[in-house]
Amino acid sequence: MKARKVKGLDPDGALEANLRRIVAVRLDELRSFGPAALDPDATEAHHDMRIAAKRLRYVLELGEPVLGKPARHGAKDARTLQDLLGEIHDCDIGVPRVLNTIGKLREEDLATIRSAADPKASDLEPSSARVARNRRRYPGLESMATYLRARREVLYAEFLRTWTRMERAGFGDRLNGKRA
Amino acid sequence: MAKAREIPGFAESSSYREAAARAVQVRTEEVFGFREGVLDVSDIDRVHDMRVATRRLRAAMEIFAPCFPKKEHGRLLKEVKALADALGERRDRDVAIVAMETAAEQMTAADRPGIAHLTAQLREEQTRANGVVEQALEKVDADGLRERLLALAAEVLPAEGVAS
Repeated sequence: MKARKVKGLDPDGALEANLRRIVAVRLDELRSFGPAALDPDATEAHHDMRIAAKRLRYVLELGEPVLGKPARHGAKDARTLQDLLGEIHDCDIGVPRVLNTIGKLREEDLATIRSAADPKASDLEPSSARVARNRRRYPGLESMATYLRARREVLYAEFLRTWTRMERAGFGDRLNGKRA
Repeated sequence: MAKAREIPGFAESSSYREAAARAVQVRTEEVFGFREGVLDVSDIDRVHDMRVATRRLRAAMEIFAPCFPKKEHGRLLKEVKALADALGERRDRDVAIVAMETAAEQMTAADRPGIAHLTAQLREEQTRANGVVEQALEKVDADGLRERLLALAAEVLPAEGVAS
């Protein structure tokens, strides 16, 4: 996701004023993903929101000596979001990876069983599956895929609670100086 | 994860531009300070520390982009991103391997062969990713990235100068 451009930055201007402009844009960027991220299946929005949280976190961490305590707390909140969404993203890429591995192993086993069979056979006995060298690998891979799906659901519920709590606590307003 | 180094004089900078020079100087030195032992896969914290430092440098370069000459800044940012990407690919495998090892400990004996298969796949990918990091570090040296980043910082802060 390309970062939104920050307008009106002045290299010869005061550091604090410029940092505040950047924080305001990065905060807006992060919050713009809030509505879409409420859909548990919006994996792209979750990923983009993580990147936006990371960008906000870095400007707050860097600017903390100038922007003070709200920046420190804001950076901590942004990191919490970034970490949660990062774990969700890991599940999102982990599930297809495991399923893809299962698919490849199945193809391998299919070819092995097929090549072990008599080319003129009219049928195949279940015992022929014994030559499949990957057969002991499937249970762990299936368990892993299921675990990652369940973990994603748990993490997503935690993300929703965290995001709602942060918004209710005035996360954005504090950073914009609208609330003490 | 290593804590970010303090940037001396940052808050007292007389301008956004002066702060830019200070930030890029310190964050550059931070990156190269973590270089030792990065290719050692038995200590995964090293690559993590260098990756985090690279991300901090990249962030500083993006935050202060308007303060630097556009062309050179763009070129250097691209090179920093390439280094960060290489370190990131290695780190992703390191983290995934640890996760698989934890899973293997916690899941049933029947599940272990499958987990071991995934772990072996990840170890192969880690070795390949480590090769990419090695090449990226060689390129960084050959291209004098550290020196050019420090020169970029010095360019916008000529009066004070920046140690190379």
